[in-house]
Amino acid sequence: MTTVEPRGGATEAGGRAAVLRTEDVAVHFGGIKAVDGIDLALEQGRILGILGPNGSGKSTLLAAITRLVPLTRGRLLLDGEDYGRTPPSRLAHRGIARTFQTVRLLPELTVLGNIQLGADLRRSRSERLRELVRRDVPAAVREAVERTGLGDLLDLFPGELSYGTARRVEIARALASRPRVLMLDEPTAGMNQPERLEVAGLLRRLRDEGLTQLLVEHDVQMMVDTCDRLLAMNQGLPIAEGAPADVVRDPAVQEAYLGKRWNRAGDR
Amino acid sequence: MAQDVLNALTLGSLYLLFALGMSLAWGTIGILNFAHGSIFMFAAFTAHLLVQEVALPMVALIAVGVAAGALLSVLVQLLVFEPIQRRAKDKHKAELQILIGGIGVAIVPLAIAQYLTRSVPFGYSAGRFQVNSYDLGFVRVSNVQVITLAAAFGLAALIGWWLKAARPGLALRGIGVDAEVASMMGVDRRRLALLTMAVAGALAGLAGVLLTYYLGSIAPETGDAFLLKAFAAIILGGVGSIAGVTIGALFLAGVETLVLVTTSGAWAPAIAFGVLFLMLLVRPNGLLGRQEVRRT
Amino acid sequence: MSQWFVSHLILIQGTFISLLLALSIQVPLRAGVFSFAGIGSYALGAYTAAILTIRLQVAPVIAIGAGVLLAAVVGYLLALLVARLSGLYLGMATIAFALFLGVAATNGGELTGGPTGLFGAISTLTTAHVIAVTLVVVLLLAAGERGAYGRRVDAVREDPQLAVTLGIDVNRVRRRVFVVSGALGATAGGMYTLLRTTVSPETIGFHLVVTALTMIIVGGSLSWAGAAIGALIFTWLPTVLQFVGEWQLLVYGLLVTAAAVYVPGGILGLLQSGWRRYQRSRRPAVRPGAAAAAAGEHEAPLATLGTPGEVRS
Repeated sequence: MTTVEPRGGATEAGGRAAVLRTEDVAVHFGGIKAVDGIDLALEQGRILGILGPNGSGKSTLLAAITRLVPLTRGRLLLDGEDYGRTPPSRLAHRGIARTFQTVRLLPELTVLGNIQLGADLRRSRSERLRELVRRDVPAAVREAVERTGLGDLLDLFPGELSYGTARRVEIARALASRPRVLMLDEPTAGMNQPERLEVAGLLRRLRDEGLTQLLVEHDVQMMVDTCDRLLAMNQGLPIAEGAPADVVRDPAVQEAYLGKRWNRAGDR
Repeated sequence: MAQDVLNALTLGSLYLLFALGMSLAWGTIGILNFAHGSIFMFAAFTAHLLVQEVALPMVALIAVGVAAGALLSVLVQLLVFEPIQRRAKDKHKAELQILIGGIGVAIVPLAIAQYLTRSVPFGYSAGRFQVNSYDLGFVRVSNVQVITLAAAFGLAALIGWWLKAARPGLALRGIGVDAEVASMMGVDRRRLALLTMAVAGALAGLAGVLLTYYLGSIAPETGDAFLLKAFAAIILGGVGSIAGVTIGALFLAGVETLVLVTTSGAWAPAIAFGVLFLMLLVRPNGLLGRQEVRRT
Repeated sequence: MSQWFVSHLILIQGTFISLLLALSIQVPLRAGVFSFAGIGSYALGAYTAAILTIRLQVAPVIAIGAGVLLAAVVGYLLALLVARLSGLYLGMATIAFALFLGVAATNGGELTGGPTGLFGAISTLTTAHVIAVTLVVVLLLAAGERGAYGRRVDAVREDPQLAVTLGIDVNRVRRRVFVVSGALGATAGGMYTLLRTTVSPETIGFHLVVTALTMIIVGGSLSWAGAAIGALIFTWLPTVLQFVGEWQLLVYGLLVTAAAVYVPGGILGLLQSGWRRYQRSRRPAVRPGAAAAAAGEHEAPLATLGTPGEVRS
């Protein structure tokens, strides 16, 4: 496992191949324009952060990219290929994994069972049949457990976990599918500061190993420290994009969202 | 012909009286009461038990049926549905548990009635009320039919008006649309739910007593048949819509009567199931229902 | 033993048939699909087996097999039809479907024997066959509840949207569930009809829905074992509870109500949570706290993974 100290903010933005790209993506619910024209590009081995106040359309955008809500207009491209009509369940097979804003673990499964669920789609029929007679834990699951430091808790049920730990299980579940693109919707919500730093460190390590990520977060400091590029949204529209340090200083961003929050985060 | 129309209207009125309460509870407080048929039957049965002891007039039997229906319905709400809603993890799970709890608790009155009657149909022949028919030339109408028609349409109109205009009615509709907002507005959900269930049970009791008068006697199992017909009527018209359930009940009774008159009638019991199934496929929200997302 | 077997033959047969019928509702329920189509499939299987046996004198395996096939196909088509429905609405639609078939049987003329039904479906089906078939079914279903298969169905039930993002084709799982439910219901119906040599429309009705549901709810809906507990209880309860006599139905009603309100997981759920608590009490205290596995503890955990035998999932 690499323990290379992550580089602080990205300097060499652009120039890399985009794994995933959206073009003018819009999602309208009746008259409500939740997302209204977003272009973004996830570059290979980079973390793109999406910043914005509550209700700015971040989660809807994530749902649109993962095909959980239909697009009103725009295109979704994976490796340059339009996947706007691919069933959402196929996306996981093509290497897109995600977590949700709220904890969504299966209460009847142990922590290990929940993490295994992420790896199940990569298992062949014969592996699944073998699992019926012999409990074996695939390497991807061991790795995800190791990365997230959940080894002691594998036998517990989700109801017995603290909120922060439950969120780590979700990250582990996503990692267990060995994704090419990882999308995290507020992964550190409800965590305490040491836990947040731990997760941020994990995401940076994964990035350095080449995992492309899309990160939706509220913690501005963490976003600046973790992401290579930031996209700021407000009311479904993009208001700024670029290097994290520039985006958070952008007047439009300051006005729309940061103001108080940024100062408070800066105080820490 | 005119006679068939009148009979269809009477049958439709009985369906309507039965379905009104179910639709009201389902559309407002979200309780699909599978024990409604059982309550309906047992209310009529209570009146029967009483009339065996004292020869009472119709008004008294109706009062007894209405009271018994309301009481049973409130009891079911207090003992079964309320605890389920309190304990269930989410709304979806509560819905299914309420359905199952309703099916379970419905067995209890049925079992008691079956035991006491030995599954023999019961009626009010010991009562003081005489069913009389009047020949109007083109049609024969009985006093029970007149009362049934008046009660069904009168009460449907009354409840429709109450939901639209009266304060508790508005609050109830509020719960039906958005429970959270309603409780933020200071609506006492628990009391309103009990009131709704009492009204629903009273309507079931009324329907039970009138049906028993109309048919002369009913069997303990009659409740089950009515339950499924009421579903068809509610789904047809749209859950929670009083106008919808009225149309649904009359349509169902009309088609059933048509089939009974024109054929041997063996397919008549299937009409409710067919209507229910087709309606759910084509338009699950019913003709006049709220557009609620029911898809996954 | 064999003396006992012979004198309790009807109950033994009833237990296995009830189990298969209960499973035809439990399998969809486990996948979060509230479908009673299995009851309709019971009718399909029962009539197909009777008709083929009486008219063509085919072997029971063909008579029952044909019904199973028919019900599986009907189940698949039904799944496509009701794909948009879920929850109560799906439950109502499938009850309507099942009861409609009951009325259709009454009106089937010579083919179904009308209101009186069919008689004389005499075959070579024995109780041993019924038991063998049920055991195979249970074995397959038990396997389907384990490992990746079981986890994926859990995901479809608890959180369909999450299941989709984990690469599970939820609609396909639901279609399969309808097919399996249809096959199970038809197996139960076909075998019961051939054992009794007769079938009539009265055997298919709302009471069958109530019976199957009762077994699953009291037994536990999340596993075949729950259905088995329910089938055992409700087949043998009448003989055990002789003293209840005519109040038997009342006892059922109270049991189902109590289960629905207080033990939604059924008896199986109670046993499982009891077992978990017992295991927990024996296990050395773990640190479920969030910070427990924070930085620096990455080396230790794999010890747990090294011994898969201890890992429950």
